[in-house]
Amino acid sequence: MDDLDLLKKDWKKQEESLPHLTYDQIYKMLWKRSSSIVKWIFIISIGEFLFGVILNIIFADKDYWADMEKYHLKEFNIWVYVISYLITFFFIFRFYQNYRKISATDNASKLMKTILKTRKTVKLYIGYVLISSVVVFIVTIWMILKNHAETAVPQVEKNMAFDTTQWLIFFGIMLLSVAILLGILWLFYRLLYGILLKRLNKNFKELKKLEMH
Amino acid sequence: MTNLEKHQNIAHKICRIYTNDQDSHNDLFQEITIQLWKAYPKFRGDSKFSTWMYRVALNTAITLYRKKKKSIRTQDFDSVFFRIKAEGYDDTIEQNLKLMYDAIRQLNDIDKALIFLYLEDKNYSEISDTLGISEVNARVKMNRIKTKLKSIINP
Repeated sequence: MDDLDLLKKDWKKQEESLPHLTYDQIYKMLWKRSSSIVKWIFIISIGEFLFGVILNIIFADKDYWADMEKYHLKEFNIWVYVISYLITFFFIFRFYQNYRKISATDNASKLMKTILKTRKTVKLYIGYVLISSVVVFIVTIWMILKNHAETAVPQVEKNMAFDTTQWLIFFGIMLLSVAILLGILWLFYRLLYGILLKRLNKNFKELKKLEMH
Repeated sequence: MTNLEKHQNIAHKICRIYTNDQDSHNDLFQEITIQLWKAYPKFRGDSKFSTWMYRVALNTAITLYRKKKKSIRTQDFDSVFFRIKAEGYDDTIEQNLKLMYDAIRQLNDIDKALIFLYLEDKNYSEISDTLGISEVNARVKMNRIKTKLKSIINP
């Protein structure tokens, strides 16, 4: 008899030694918390969407709008908001669509693919938040400077103009906020998803490798 | 649910291949139960319940399940699992079986799935269907694992 046949035979024998749970025991398990990766991805992704929205709300307080008024940027800003919320909703919609498609009934390869796709949507969203923030930031600064040059006629110069220290503080704060934002994002990706998706990614690659032969 | 109770062996066997101690075994078993329950509305009855269960349970083990914090390894499972002392087996065979089980435990998640389905007497079309790879590739890979296992006991 072949060794593998022996293995198979032995494998079947273990049936007797397997635990057997009663209906009630299994039923109770259903109410325990699931530790599924999909659940975590869902929670974290929603967190990330909220993060983008909260960032907008925090930065857009009354003073912010007053400043924008001063620099004739209110209209520009309203447009930015409308567009960015539309884009955010589009991402949330896509994310939800992908999420709904995740099904434990699919074959392993397809299941992994859908999960990774769901993740990718949120990744793209964060990328979009990052790039659009930088773009809006640059445009805003440029428009402030432009307006400043126009309004800084000699008689109001003292009221409107920043001196060198003020400029430095201004840029310092701006840079700091961008740095904090980048830091948080870095944490999201390196730590959170690194750990969360490590096994899934590994298994997915393994399956892909099989297909390449 | 009654189906699940009836076929719970499938889940237990997967837990044995994928976990090393009793706590993790219970943990994974519970997750499989939850996933089966959640996916059950999608079970259309056009395949056998057991076939469907293999798929959902394996998906849980290799994709969906996230291990809880590493519990302290109290007991490696040679003693519980893979016990094997059975009549009619001489020591060499027993030794060889142990070596093979050890080797299986060291395989990666996907290879474990393949060997599990093989041990469960699944044919290649079912294996390729469950994992979403082509039948040819499943066969090639399986032959490699088999050769590897054999070479372990006959170096």
